[in-house]
Amino acid sequence: MHPGAWVAWSAGASVVALSTTNPFYLLILFGASWAVQASWGGRSRGVRSFRFFAGAGLVAMALRTVLVVFGPVNSGSIVIALLEGLRVAVLLAVYGAFNSVSDASALLRLAPRRLQEVTLAAALGLTLAPRFAETAVQVSEAQRMRGLGGGRLLRRLPALCVPVLESGMEQALVLAESMDARGHGRGPRSRYRPQRFGAWSWATAALSAVAAVAFVAAATAGTGDLLVASAPLRWPQATGPLVAAALAFCAPALWSPSAR
Amino acid sequence: MLRPTKPSSAVGGGAPSSPSAVRIDGVSFSYPEAETLALREVSLAIPAGVFVLVAGPTGSGKSTLIRTMNGLVPHFSGGSFSGRVLVSGRDTRHTRPRYLADVVGFVPQDPGAGFVVDLVEDELAYGMENLGIDPLVMRRRVEEVSDLLALENLRRRSVRELSGGERQRVAIAAALAAGPRILLLDEPTSQLDPQGAEDICAALQRLVHDLGLTVIVAEHRLERVASFADLAVGCLGGGEVVQGRPADVVGVLDLGPPVASLGARLNWRPLPLTVREARSHVQLSPEPPARGGRAPGKARASVKGLAAGYDNGDVLTGVSLELHAGVVAALMGRNGAGKTTLLRCISGLKKPSAGRVLIEGALPAPGRNVALCPQAPDSVLFRDRVEDEISVTLAAGGLPDGPGPHLERLGIAALASRHPRDLSAGERLLVALASIAASGAGVLLLDEPTRGLDLAAKHRLVDLLRIYAEEGSAVLLATHDVELVAQAAERVIMLASKEVIADGSPEVVLGDSVVFAPQMTRVLGPGWLTVEQAAAALA
Repeated sequence: MHPGAWVAWSAGASVVALSTTNPFYLLILFGASWAVQASWGGRSRGVRSFRFFAGAGLVAMALRTVLVVFGPVNSGSIVIALLEGLRVAVLLAVYGAFNSVSDASALLRLAPRRLQEVTLAAALGLTLAPRFAETAVQVSEAQRMRGLGGGRLLRRLPALCVPVLESGMEQALVLAESMDARGHGRGPRSRYRPQRFGAWSWATAALSAVAAVAFVAAATAGTGDLLVASAPLRWPQATGPLVAAALAFCAPALWSPSAR
Repeated sequence: MLRPTKPSSAVGGGAPSSPSAVRIDGVSFSYPEAETLALREVSLAIPAGVFVLVAGPTGSGKSTLIRTMNGLVPHFSGGSFSGRVLVSGRDTRHTRPRYLADVVGFVPQDPGAGFVVDLVEDELAYGMENLGIDPLVMRRRVEEVSDLLALENLRRRSVRELSGGERQRVAIAAALAAGPRILLLDEPTSQLDPQGAEDICAALQRLVHDLGLTVIVAEHRLERVASFADLAVGCLGGGEVVQGRPADVVGVLDLGPPVASLGARLNWRPLPLTVREARSHVQLSPEPPARGGRAPGKARASVKGLAAGYDNGDVLTGVSLELHAGVVAALMGRNGAGKTTLLRCISGLKKPSAGRVLIEGALPAPGRNVALCPQAPDSVLFRDRVEDEISVTLAAGGLPDGPGPHLERLGIAALASRHPRDLSAGERLLVALASIAASGAGVLLLDEPTRGLDLAAKHRLVDLLRIYAEEGSAVLLATHDVELVAQAAERVIMLASKEVIADGSPEVVLGDSVVFAPQMTRVLGPGWLTVEQAAAALA
């Protein structure tokens, strides 16, 4: 599928997640993210990426809930915090699924030429972020060899940060240098694996757009029980059309290569 | 003959005369905020279709020189630049590197750092896409470079999962695929085992011979590259650069290869660059030198029945060995043989899946009884002064002595108040090693420490390792550098097929190896390791 279709899918799913705190819709979206990732994310790195973001989402949700306890507590505020945390978790899961099914650097290469400088910066960031993590591991292992492994984090911080930042800067320079030396930003590009925006890509993009529009319309009209009210606390309802719209984000799983 | 680099100096000796691929006229360059010139009045004419070796000590301007040839200097580096560089007739002052990408390919020193996309196959195509090359042509070229550099099995892999040697091959293939007429490579064999290095050099030479490509290689390990070169450029230090026949330039630099060092001592003319040329000077093979060697001390580390690996299976099985006090041992083997994995297990960073590692009878405690000096010394250093680096380690271990006597003992007291960043690559390694070894660990491990080091720096490293061994440490050094092993090691452990396949003195283990024999062994036969031994016997 075309990377653009995945952009449409993740943008649509994000709009829906942002428009509601209704747990029915959010849980459907979480399920959709999992289904898409499971059916399309073939590479092991992709699976790890989804697990990482889904895990980060759950942590964010827990944190959001715990923080509320420090304020004036009632059952309503805790439930709202829990649901808002769930929304963050769903957004992260959507991003994790997107990350595991599409290659972000491949996506950047689709950007128009006028945005070359911006995409260069974005590509540097995307490529260096995982290397940053690798360097951090290397540095912390090296410092363990000097007996600087234990003790308080604050005291260990300079031994970790200085080498990580220095080598990060150096790697960014080497990468930028290499991209320039290999002709980045020089003129019209060609594609090694031209990706057609085919029927399945259109279907994905269209369904995602329709679903997002449905939720935005419901939000503007104030219908569909999108936002859970806290006073008085009431169990929200789910309406049929919006459930169908949320389920539309599962659809790409139906036409994954393994399902076809 | 050697030519001083005056503007009129023409093509180097022996090379076919044809229009210049690269022409440098009176170039002087200094980096921003640098007080000295990195290049001083350099003039070179490199004809098309030759294999060029750029040699010289660390910091003499090799990398700077080859970066002027695709415009990275001065467009990327900044600094003050005068003179003119013409690449296929284009003036680099007015042409940014990206607009030279169709004629010049570039492979940086750390190939992994230059990768842009995730899949190997896409990485091969990346440069071609930037040049707007037709998709059908791209397909064909990806096939061709994959064949040429044996990448068939790697094409669908992520570049991040590749070993050092594989990355090097992918980077070269990616540069080649873009179809340049000139290929610049910064230390292309530093990550490779001897066989891998030989294969890469042979492939590059084929491109020169068959396709008329101009290949320009900056390299420290002259024993690997010198015999392939048609023309050499010597960076003498202080920004001075000469060009000439490889034998002449190598003779002036006196940085090896070992056969050339031997020839220089015995006054052989012309100076030999290959084992074959050196052999023609030796009529009678003398008796090999008697093996000296001290008796090894007590076992400091013992490895029994060790197996270890990653998600996709074991890399090592049934490895047993002991490391003794007072011995410098070398761990060798081809790329991917499991050298790093074994070091990580001994150092306690990685848990073996079977078997056990004991250091002085206890489990490995990194930074206490065992220490591993990593591949990149820069990941160790973080203070402003060398002596502070040592103090930090001493304080962490609760050791009473100060950094001064420590540096004195190791012979690097002169560096005490310098900033680690201002040191040369070789000095940084010494300081990194010293600040790790200051933990007092009795077992010292080093993982491929010689990347980017010139001959002088390697000698200093060997001296340091000897000092540690004499003080009672057990030293194990994983490396591809057979000449370093010939200099430094009293014992060689060879890994292959997940196991230890040979373990003994370097005379025995390297003596009958086709791949790992040092040059003196190849010239004089088993038992000969160093230039000093050979020169003394033949003089």
